[in-house]
Amino acid sequence: MSDAEEAERLTRKRAQMMPFLAVLLITQQASFFADDGGRRVVDWGTTICWIALAAAILAALVTGGFWFKPRAIRALMNDEVTRANRASALTLGFVLALTAAISLYALEAFAPGEATPRQALHIVVTVGLLAAMLRFALLERRALG
Amino acid sequence: MADGLGNRLRELREAKGLTQAQLADMIGVSRKTVNTVENGVFVPSTIVALKLAGALGCAVEELFFLPG
Repeated sequence: MSDAEEAERLTRKRAQMMPFLAVLLITQQASFFADDGGRRVVDWGTTICWIALAAAILAALVTGGFWFKPRAIRALMNDEVTRANRASALTLGFVLALTAAISLYALEAFAPGEATPRQALHIVVTVGLLAAMLRFALLERRALG
Repeated sequence: MADGLGNRLRELREAKGLTQAQLADMIGVSRKTVNTVENGVFVPSTIVALKLAGALGCAVEELFFLPG
């Protein structure tokens, strides 16, 4: 398989993976809000998993992921169309994360104590990442034709 | 067409008997780039536009145009 074919295969795979990661992130969000606020070992495990997942998704979105693939393949996977799609996706993610943050700030002003700071941060991060991931996946799939 | 930029990429590529993948290989971009430029979804950089014109043996102005 040539570099170009491998790059196309991985690009398609990356676009297909994003919705699954989005579902995983939402699942973690649901389990976070179902949490009773306890501090057992399992709760710390869940928290660490969520931090690792969020950081990995952010890194993959910003850099394109597939860090251990050859440079030539990564360059093809991150050519100018991909960079434009990524910029559009990250912009949407940023705008929606800020919108969520402003909304939660307003909620706190009018209904104090409705959300803890930890819950608010969780929502802001999830909204931003979800929006960016789904937008990137949509644009990439559309571009692949 | 993105930003009102027209192109004759598909017509000139097919006249040369090239697939999108072959043209992409020739200029070192992904097939996705050729596909999005061809469909008017993406306006390429000057560098890619010049590479496309070079690969198809025509001037950039023959490949890209402002409609109207």
